[in-house]
Amino acid sequence: MALRVAILFGVAALAGRGAHAYPEFQRYSQQVSGRFVNCAMCHVHPDGPIGLKPGQIGKLTPAELGQLNSARGAFLPGQDVMNPILNEFGNALLKKLGKKRILELRLQPDQLADAYGYESDIDGDGVPDAHEFLQGTDPVDPQNGAPWALFTHNLRRYAFPHLFLLVTATALGLFGMNNLLKWFHQTMDKGSPEPGATGTKH
Amino acid sequence: MPTARTQDLMRFLAERFPLEKFSFRSLVQKKEVPLHKMAWAYYLGGLALFCFFIQLSTGLLLLFYYEPTVSDAHASVEFITHNVSGGALIRNLHTWSSSAMILFVLAHLVTTFAMKAFEKPREMTWISGVVLLLLTFAFGFTGYLLPWHQIAVNATKVGLQSIEEAGRYLPGELGKLPGQIKELIQGEQSVGQATLSRFYALHVVILPFTLCALLGFHLLSVQLHGMSQGVDKATNKTEAFFPFFLLKDFSLWGIGFLVMFVLALCLPFESFFSFPLFQPFDPLGSTPEGIKPEWYFFFVYYPLELLPFWFIMLASTVALGGLFMTPWLFRPANRRTLAFLACAAALYLIVMTVFGQNIYALFKGSQ
Amino acid sequence: MFDVFFFVGLPYIAVFTMVAGTIYRFRKDRLGVSSLSSQFLESKALLWGSVPWHIGIAVVFLGHLIPLLAPGVWQALVARRAFLITIETLGSCAASLCLVGLVILAIRRFASSKLQTVTTAMDLVVVNLLIAQVVLGLGVATAHRWGAVWSTGTTTPYLWSLLRFNPDVSYVAELPALVRVHLVGAFVVFLLVPFSRLVHMFSLPLEYLFRPPQKVVWANPRRLLHAHAAVAAMESRRLFLKASFGLAGAGALLSVGVFDKFLGFFRGPRMTPDEEAKLLKTRLDRLQLTVEERELELERIRSEQIFVAKVGELSPKDGKYFIDYKMRPALAFRDEQGLPRLISAKCTHLGCTVASSVDSTNRLLCPCHMSYFDVKSGAPLEGSPAKAPLPLLGWILVDPNGKTVASQGPDGKLEGKPDPATLDVCSVYIAKQYEEA
Repeated sequence: MALRVAILFGVAALAGRGAHAYPEFQRYSQQVSGRFVNCAMCHVHPDGPIGLKPGQIGKLTPAELGQLNSARGAFLPGQDVMNPILNEFGNALLKKLGKKRILELRLQPDQLADAYGYESDIDGDGVPDAHEFLQGTDPVDPQNGAPWALFTHNLRRYAFPHLFLLVTATALGLFGMNNLLKWFHQTMDKGSPEPGATGTKH
Repeated sequence: MPTARTQDLMRFLAERFPLEKFSFRSLVQKKEVPLHKMAWAYYLGGLALFCFFIQLSTGLLLLFYYEPTVSDAHASVEFITHNVSGGALIRNLHTWSSSAMILFVLAHLVTTFAMKAFEKPREMTWISGVVLLLLTFAFGFTGYLLPWHQIAVNATKVGLQSIEEAGRYLPGELGKLPGQIKELIQGEQSVGQATLSRFYALHVVILPFTLCALLGFHLLSVQLHGMSQGVDKATNKTEAFFPFFLLKDFSLWGIGFLVMFVLALCLPFESFFSFPLFQPFDPLGSTPEGIKPEWYFFFVYYPLELLPFWFIMLASTVALGGLFMTPWLFRPANRRTLAFLACAAALYLIVMTVFGQNIYALFKGSQ
Repeated sequence: MFDVFFFVGLPYIAVFTMVAGTIYRFRKDRLGVSSLSSQFLESKALLWGSVPWHIGIAVVFLGHLIPLLAPGVWQALVARRAFLITIETLGSCAASLCLVGLVILAIRRFASSKLQTVTTAMDLVVVNLLIAQVVLGLGVATAHRWGAVWSTGTTTPYLWSLLRFNPDVSYVAELPALVRVHLVGAFVVFLLVPFSRLVHMFSLPLEYLFRPPQKVVWANPRRLLHAHAAVAAMESRRLFLKASFGLAGAGALLSVGVFDKFLGFFRGPRMTPDEEAKLLKTRLDRLQLTVEERELELERIRSEQIFVAKVGELSPKDGKYFIDYKMRPALAFRDEQGLPRLISAKCTHLGCTVASSVDSTNRLLCPCHMSYFDVKSGAPLEGSPAKAPLPLLGWILVDPNGKTVASQGPDGKLEGKPDPATLDVCSVYIAKQYEEA
């Protein structure tokens, strides 16, 4: 424990303010979406990069600390780095924009989505990452997204064969049930003078 | 020679449980369902039953992968959702259908009240129905904790804490009792492994068995007494329960399943909430914003937030007592009055569920 | 030579004979184009034989025709596992239905003496040939599985090469014997069409399916009643058949769907090593957290004092979370005198964990129901749902030499005075003595 604390403070001192999350983006996402957002949108741990829990700096192995330091040097876009305290979205941001641009964007968080672009959809739920950022939903969880967008996307995705078969099955079942009702009416009304849906109370 | 009192008791029981009608002929062949403008309400109980069947089957499937320990519960739920094929569908089906079940049970309660279906000799059917309602809520409350994510554990804490609150209004040593009851329920000082274990046992074993037994009683007494007439002026138009009513019931189940399946497949229930609420519960970290019980508790949750606690205690005791005593309290009432009361209750439930958040914000001025 | 005869010569001869012979029969003897029904002689076994056979063969025929006509679409469809399993199951069921029907028909021919008088040698050849052909087909389906897939690369192009008059036997040269015999059998069936009752396949009375039931009205009133009853019975049978068709279809589709989903669910995931490693890592981390939590619990049972932080690490604004003796979260701040201030972080309203940093007016916020607390006294602010204050915790200050220099009880009574010079390196402890029994 003491060793880990030592590592933590060593790293924090080394990194200076770079070790902090960028709450500007979090605040912006929360403000435009009306949804509560925490650090887990881009980081591994929901409480941000500093701490002793899994996914935080205090828990990194020496190899991961090396990765972290090389990721910190990725100032230009397109560098193949993997930051162990960031999740897939955080790393995609770093790779697409580069650290320098991200630091600039902290002052204009409203431009992050445009700068990142609307093509990438990491979790494949049909809502692009940039939209998930603007809508305050989790860009790496396919089960989380703006409900309507998710619904229409999945409707298209499962239209064939799942929904087609299910609708066919239901239609067939209702057709059968309906005819069965008619059949019962016919066989049970046999002999009664007037056919019809209703009997009389006994 | 039995005394007069015993004879009274015997007569009471014989009227409530006309077991001489316990034959295929009278349970199935002879049963007639009245046809009138409220006849649609006869289908609501069946829909609730159908949801229970879905809950039973999807719940059994979830049991294959779920692990009820604080370290593994959340991971196993994530495993079901993201790794097991069809797991997300089955879990979503369980969630959507639980909500639908509560909705139909509540609608069933309100309409049977409005139709005065609790009249003699159906008092026991009504009371078993009220207990079934409470069991359904208990299912909702215990099941909510099992995924062990932030909203689950924190909402459970909040719910259990309100028991302890009651202690403030009890005199002296008696004031400690609610706190002890709370600890009895959660099994330790705070919500932890013991709570998870016993909620799990309740949710997957005890409650289902109790519910099945009571449901059997409820359905049997419905069949023994037949459908209540439902309107003040009895109609002489009826249709046979078997096969006509039953087949229409099944058709409705088919449509219900279609709707529920489409929702479960295409619209994850959790997408309506902020994602930090579904991160694993962290006893040492901060609580994310937006901790709320499930929507079907809003009707008691928002008043609890706004009004003094003793008032809620009093109101809910009165309401619950009223529900149990309904067959005797409302014996002289006609169906117009009952329908009015039922509409008022439904209005309250709908307004509190849909606009509770707005009302809360209006009075508290926050958010 | 052998291949050329059976797979080029025979098919052309068969199809030519079938077309020419059928046209000849239609022109020469139109009324002879019939199934030579023997329903008047025996109807019961005919019903149980003929109906399954015809339903089965219609399905099987479509299953052979569609891949031939639309190979591209077919290939795309069978690439889905669920579709493939469904179609193979359906085909096997239909073929079994055919077989049952044919066997009943064959037995019927032998069992009834009335029928034997009208049975020709050709009838027996046809029924036995069809039985053989169905058995062969079922054999192919079981011995060489997923014919719906492999046929698209073998028999389909072969048959197309025949249709284009550019026969290419290489497609079928390497096929298993069973498949080749099945193919030859099919050609022989084609060949026999004009010479047997099989010719009735070209005079399908399709309009029967769509026309309304016809009512034969007799002038005699007694007969009229009978006619009504007969019509009612017919109508009732039609409704029952429609109902069974609908329910059976829905049941079949639902069971395929449920089977597909359940099978996948029980089989569990098939993960790549990467995914598996990631999953395992997450689970290990969670276990580790639980272990750490249990260690904390043990420590709280065993030790009299528990380390919180060095005074120097504490700040007046950002609290440090720690766990108190009752395993509840608490926060450590530094007050105006530079001394520690420990305050419970468990909201007194409904037990949520209070946020760790104070705002500009020195308030702590519980995010669950927006309770604000004054960080100095722990008292809830006006309008908060919480009514009781967050309790302050007692602490002990120990200098680097291990000597207790100061302490404060939960009541706020300070004992001892620490040296401001070494204050930053002093350690803050919580102590069991301050906990109520």
